[in-house]
Amino acid sequence: MPYLPRGVAQPLELVKSLNALQPFLPPAVVNWRYTIDNDWSGDPSLFFWITLSDEAAKPQNLPRITKYVTGVITQHINPRGQWGLIPYVSFRSQSEQSALKEEVFE
Amino acid sequence: MAYHDELIAHAELLATLPDAPRQADMRRAVSAAYYALFHLLTSEAAGNWKNINQQARFARMLDHGKMKNASSKISNQKAPTDPALVLIFDNLKLVTDNFVTLQQERLSADYGNSKVWSRTQVFEAIIQAQDA
Repeated sequence: MPYLPRGVAQPLELVKSLNALQPFLPPAVVNWRYTIDNDWSGDPSLFFWITLSDEAAKPQNLPRITKYVTGVITQHINPRGQWGLIPYVSFRSQSEQSALKEEVFE
Repeated sequence: MAYHDELIAHAELLATLPDAPRQADMRRAVSAAYYALFHLLTSEAAGNWKNINQQARFARMLDHGKMKNASSKISNQKAPTDPALVLIFDNLKLVTDNFVTLQQERLSADYGNSKVWSRTQVFEAIIQAQDA
């Protein structure tokens, strides 16, 4: 019998958990969105689309802030352990998103 | 310079080219970042193959999908309780987490024509390859 991840079987519970994430994110996170989809090999996944302030996205600041935000997601959501979803986190700056206007980040 | 280091340098070069970032450069940079980690892992694994004459052939046998599955199994594991093993596990998990992420990014960069890459996304991919 195929395995159904908890994040797919209980989407409302997952949304509740995701909604509770906001207070733990730093001010450098200007906007964040998520989508649930399969990755390239068909594994159920949780994609995060995170817009950072331009200051936070500067090369000298980027490693620290991305590690911090990824750590917050792992600690509070634990996509793999709690929900059976592979997390993928994508970052871009506010000015980049203003120019690119990619829908998943809006 | 080792090949995987050359690939990281190549990714950095593409990501920092002057003027507005071109998608071809951004996508090739993400791909190079993934292959830097891929070649590091395969060359290290092949280096442990006893028959030196077969090491290159061994490295070519390693499959992207199977490496992803093996990495995911480690990433899904809980941390060991033995304090002596925690650091080793954390380091290994960093490699497997980043490998899975970079592989997805590489597939998206090489084949996902609808996705638009920003410089920040590319820098993050390079950072992940370097960390691993």
